[in-house]
Amino acid sequence: MTDTPLIELRDVRKAFVTGAVRYEVLKGISLTLDRGDYIALMGPSGSGKSTLLNILGCLDMPSSGHYHLEGREIVSLSDAELARLRNQFFGFVFQSFNLLGRYSVEENVALPMVYRGVARREGLRRARELLTRVGLKDFTKHIPSELSGGMQQRVAIARALVNEPKIVFADEPTGNLDSKTGQEIIGLFGELNAEGTTLVVVTHDPRVAEHARRVLTLTDGAIMADRRNQAVA
Amino acid sequence: MNPYEHLRIAMAALAANKVRSFLTMLGVIIGVASVIMLVAIGEGAKTYIRQELMGIGTNLLIVVPGKTETSGMGHMPSGVQKLTLADMRALEKRATLVSAMTPVVVSNAPVKLGNRLRNVQVIGTDQNFEAVRNLHVEIGSFLSKADVDASRRVMVIGRTVKKELFGESNPLGRTVKLGETKFRVIGIMEKKGMTLGQDIDDHVFIPVETAQEIFDQDGLTNILAQAINDSAIDRAKQQIRQVLIERHAGEEDFTLVSQQAMLFTMQTILGTFTYVLGGIASISLLVGGIGIMNIMLVSVRERTREIGLRKAIGAARRDILLQFIIESVVLSMVGGLIGIVIGAGVAYGAKAVFPVIPIDVSTWSVLTAFIFAFMVGAFFGIYPASKAARLNPIEALRYE
Repeated sequence: MTDTPLIELRDVRKAFVTGAVRYEVLKGISLTLDRGDYIALMGPSGSGKSTLLNILGCLDMPSSGHYHLEGREIVSLSDAELARLRNQFFGFVFQSFNLLGRYSVEENVALPMVYRGVARREGLRRARELLTRVGLKDFTKHIPSELSGGMQQRVAIARALVNEPKIVFADEPTGNLDSKTGQEIIGLFGELNAEGTTLVVVTHDPRVAEHARRVLTLTDGAIMADRRNQAVA
Repeated sequence: MNPYEHLRIAMAALAANKVRSFLTMLGVIIGVASVIMLVAIGEGAKTYIRQELMGIGTNLLIVVPGKTETSGMGHMPSGVQKLTLADMRALEKRATLVSAMTPVVVSNAPVKLGNRLRNVQVIGTDQNFEAVRNLHVEIGSFLSKADVDASRRVMVIGRTVKKELFGESNPLGRTVKLGETKFRVIGIMEKKGMTLGQDIDDHVFIPVETAQEIFDQDGLTNILAQAINDSAIDRAKQQIRQVLIERHAGEEDFTLVSQQAMLFTMQTILGTFTYVLGGIASISLLVGGIGIMNIMLVSVRERTREIGLRKAIGAARRDILLQFIIESVVLSMVGGLIGIVIGAGVAYGAKAVFPVIPIDVSTWSVLTAFIFAFMVGAFFGIYPASKAARLNPIEALRYE
C-alpha cells in the first residue's frame, strides 16, 4: 500500500462550455499527493484551484485524464460509488461552513456517519469526541447560529473528521473569518496534520502557506510552482 | 443508510416549517375527509333505503293503473282503464305464482271524534293487507274477511290518529266520523314512524268497498301482490301482465313495479350519487397533491445548499431522492390520517343528528383513502425529489 501514492493525477483537464465558448480551466495537471502531507493550493482567482480541489474531492469529474485514488481509477465510478468515496475517504471544509441550521452542533458533526450507516447513538458519541478535540465540548447541543464564525468552522472541521477520512479538503477555510480566528483555525490544521491527517487547502491566505509542508501554485490552469516548505518539513 | 434515518431527516425538515407543512397538508386533509364522509353517508343512505324498502313486505309486486313507462313509438293513450276489484279476483284465480294479494284505495278525509278533527290518509283494503305490507295491529284486530265482504263501517287507526283523537282513553268500540259516515274503531296499528316519506301512524284503514263507496270511486289506487318466493318474481310479474292484458282488451294500460326493481333503481341512483361525490372529493385530493408538489419544489430550491452539502459528505442521488419522496409521502399520509379522523368525525356526527340513517365508516373507504393519500404523496414527490437528486453538488454548494 505504501508504495502506491494516495492520489495520482495524470494529465487531468477540465473544460466548461458556456454557450458557444469552451473554456479550459485545467490544462493538463499531473500531480502526486502523499499520505500525511499538508498542501496549500494557491493562485490567483480563476487559476482553477477550486476546480482542482473539486476534482480531487470527487465532487466533479475531469473532462479527460486519469485520477487514481490509492491506485484505483475513479473516473468510471457510479454516483453511488463516488458518494461512498466522499463519505469514507474525504472530509470537506468550506469557506461558508455549510452547517445545517435546524440540527444541533453534534447532529451536524454526526451527519456523515448517517450516510455511512452508523447507528445514531454511536454517531453522536463520536461527534462529541471530535467536538471535544476541536475545543467545543460545551456547545454540543447548541444550534450553529448560536456560535461565532470561528466556532462554526471548528464544527465543520469536526464534521470533516468524523469518518476518519484519508484526506481533508478545505476551500478557503479562513476566508470568512477575522484574522485572529483565522489564525486559530490555521493552528488547528497544523495540529491535525501533526496528528497524521492529510490536508489539501485552497487558500489566498499566506499564513496558511507558511504552515503547509508543500505549496502548489496554479496559474491559468497549470501548476506554476511546487515548493516544499523546509521550515515545516 | 437505514430507512429510519431517511424518515428522521424528513420529519426534521417538516418540523422546521410547521405552519407551511400544515397548510400543505390541508389540501389532502380536506380531500380525504370529504371522501370518507361522503362515502360513509352515501353508503348509509343506501342501507337505509334497502331497510325501508324491505320493510314494506317481501317479494312485493305493485300494480298501478296507467302506463308510466314509455313503450315505443305510436302508443296513443286510449283512455286509461281502471284497475278494479274484479281484476284482482281474476288475478287471485289465475296468477298461481302469487301467494297473497291485497287491493288498495287511497284517499284523504277528515276523521272526527266529537269536536276533535284530524285529516288523515284513508286506506281502503282487505284482510290480506297486514301480511302483504308487513304492518300489524297492536290492539284489537285488523279488518276481517267478513268486515271486507260485508263492507262494514269499521276502522283500524294508526298510532298518531289514536293519540290525537282519543288521547289516553281506549278507542276500541268507539264511533268516529269519517267525513259524514260513522265508523266503529276495531283496532290500533303498531307504531311504525316514517317509512319512505309516509307516516303510517297517521293512516286509517277501512274495508276496500266501503272506501270506494264513500269516496265514490270504482277503481283501485293499486294492487299489492306477493310472489311465492324471490325467484318467482319475474314469472309472477309475467302472469299478472298476461291476465290483465287479456282483461283489458289487449291493452297494457297498467304498470307493474317490483320491490326488487325499486330497490335496484334506488340503489343504483344512490350508488352513482355516492361515487360522483366521492370522485369530486378525489379531485380535491389531487389538487392537494399538486399543492404538495409545489411546496416540495420550493423546498428543494430553498435547500439547494443543504443538498449540495449532503452530497459532498456522502449522500448518493438515491439518498436525496428518498429523502424528498419520504418528506412528501409523510406530508400526504399525515394529511390523510387527519382527514380520515375528521371525515369519520363528521360522518358519525351526522349519524348522531339523523339516527335513522345507518351511517358507518367502512374499513375499505378508510384503507382506500389512506392508500390514495400515500400514492398522491409518492407520485407528486417524484418530480421535486428527482430534481433535488440531480443537482450538481458544486453548483448546489455555491447557490446563494
